[in-house]
Amino acid sequence: MHTGVHGELLKIEHLSFSYEKGQEVLTDINLVAHDGESIGIIGSNGIGKSTLMKLLVGLYPDYNGVLEVAGHTVDKKNLSHVREHIGYVFQDSESQLFLSTVEDDVAFGPQNYGLSKEEVERRVSEALAKVHIEHLRKFQTYKLSGGEKKLSAIATILSMEPDIIIMDEPSIALDPRNRKNLIKILREISSLKLITSHDLDFIMDTCERTILLDDGRIIFDGPTSEIMHDEKLLTDHGLELPLRFSGV
Amino acid sequence: MNSIERNLNELNKIQNLQQRSHWMNDLHPMGKLLLGVVYILTVVSFGKYELVPIIMMAVYPIFGFIVGELSFREGIYRMRLILPLILFVGILNPFFDRDVVLRIGNLSVTGGMLSMLTLMLKGFFSVLSAYILIATTSIDDICYALRTIHIPKVIVIVIMLIYRYFGVMGNEADRISTAYRLRAPRQNGINYKAWGTLVGQWLLRSMDRANIVYESMLLRGFKGDFFVHKKGVRKTDIIYVAFWLLLFAAIAFGRRFM
Repeated sequence: MHTGVHGELLKIEHLSFSYEKGQEVLTDINLVAHDGESIGIIGSNGIGKSTLMKLLVGLYPDYNGVLEVAGHTVDKKNLSHVREHIGYVFQDSESQLFLSTVEDDVAFGPQNYGLSKEEVERRVSEALAKVHIEHLRKFQTYKLSGGEKKLSAIATILSMEPDIIIMDEPSIALDPRNRKNLIKILREISSLKLITSHDLDFIMDTCERTILLDDGRIIFDGPTSEIMHDEKLLTDHGLELPLRFSGV
Repeated sequence: MNSIERNLNELNKIQNLQQRSHWMNDLHPMGKLLLGVVYILTVVSFGKYELVPIIMMAVYPIFGFIVGELSFREGIYRMRLILPLILFVGILNPFFDRDVVLRIGNLSVTGGMLSMLTLMLKGFFSVLSAYILIATTSIDDICYALRTIHIPKVIVIVIMLIYRYFGVMGNEADRISTAYRLRAPRQNGINYKAWGTLVGQWLLRSMDRANIVYESMLLRGFKGDFFVHKKGVRKTDIIYVAFWLLLFAAIAFGRRFM
């Protein structure tokens, strides 16, 4: 839950991880992120972006190095604390929504943390308002469109008022209007955001800082405006210039 | 629409029924569950020749369908897989029990015919009462009622998760079968040679998706128990349940005088 923690919210030092012994997916990752930042994580397919995100929320607790979320070390005994501070919006919104109605799904997190009925109600209303889907409150989740599902999935995380929000490919399968709407909403959210995406235009519109990953290592960590103009760096690591610069 | 899509649609329609705004849906789930269980126990407790009290027990499903504004035709359609089994249960009775127990004009009714009919009605009414419960009570409410009567948490969670994952598995099956049909337009159904691979793929993909659902639950503080809205018991709930329980009791005890 949002604790009002300011400053350093995420600290990663010399992080390495492998699914199988001897085959490192991530190698010597170092990263510090602060409250209010919006960080894009880019890289070609299969270079470890999603793995890094899942490490942050403790889904893979066996790693080497230092991993701290809002001052809590990410390990088995701390998972509950860690997950109070960090929310994860999955790429597949359909799988993220598992309760009958949007309202029930958005209330699921706060209820699990034992908040009072009034507080749950307040959080649900605020989360729905933040993503402008108050009208979908009583809707059944299976009836939603792709864009509505994505916004509902974001609301399920916002209701937990996390300090950090992780989003895995949030713009995927959204039509232009929903995409534009999502960009506007993300700009309005004040938490630290980590957004993985192949959609570099989307990253340009939502993140001021970008991290480029390749072969399990951080290749670049700096201003988005800088890397998005660096055609050589992008192409050397399996990416292309954003569409708006590529002349397509 | 293929059969999987049709079945998923049916599941969605049941969910629509559960979510509608109707006073029967608003009744306390505990009361509805209790009534459903007591009704079935009462119906099956009648003897094999006790046709009259069993017919009288039809009042509950008839009330449920009419007042609950449920379509009888759709109810029967949704129960189509179970109904043939029920009808089959007593089908051999007339061959074994040939003693005449009743004469209606020239027609001799044997014990086997009577017991076949009572068995069929027992099954039929039990299924209809279960349908009324399902159509007016969401899975969350049913699980809440189960927890209230101290059914172990682990069993209730398993029921709930099976229900959740049922949709996930259905969607995957639908995607796989659609992808197959679109690339095998001249085939009628799925070739038996492809069944092994498709079922394997289906299970693996369903497991992946179920895993995402589970991870999503974990990341939102799930610790092995679903939160359920506690519902207060109102006067209407008590009157509704008491009325039906008294009626069931009256029919059950009154059969001695029939």
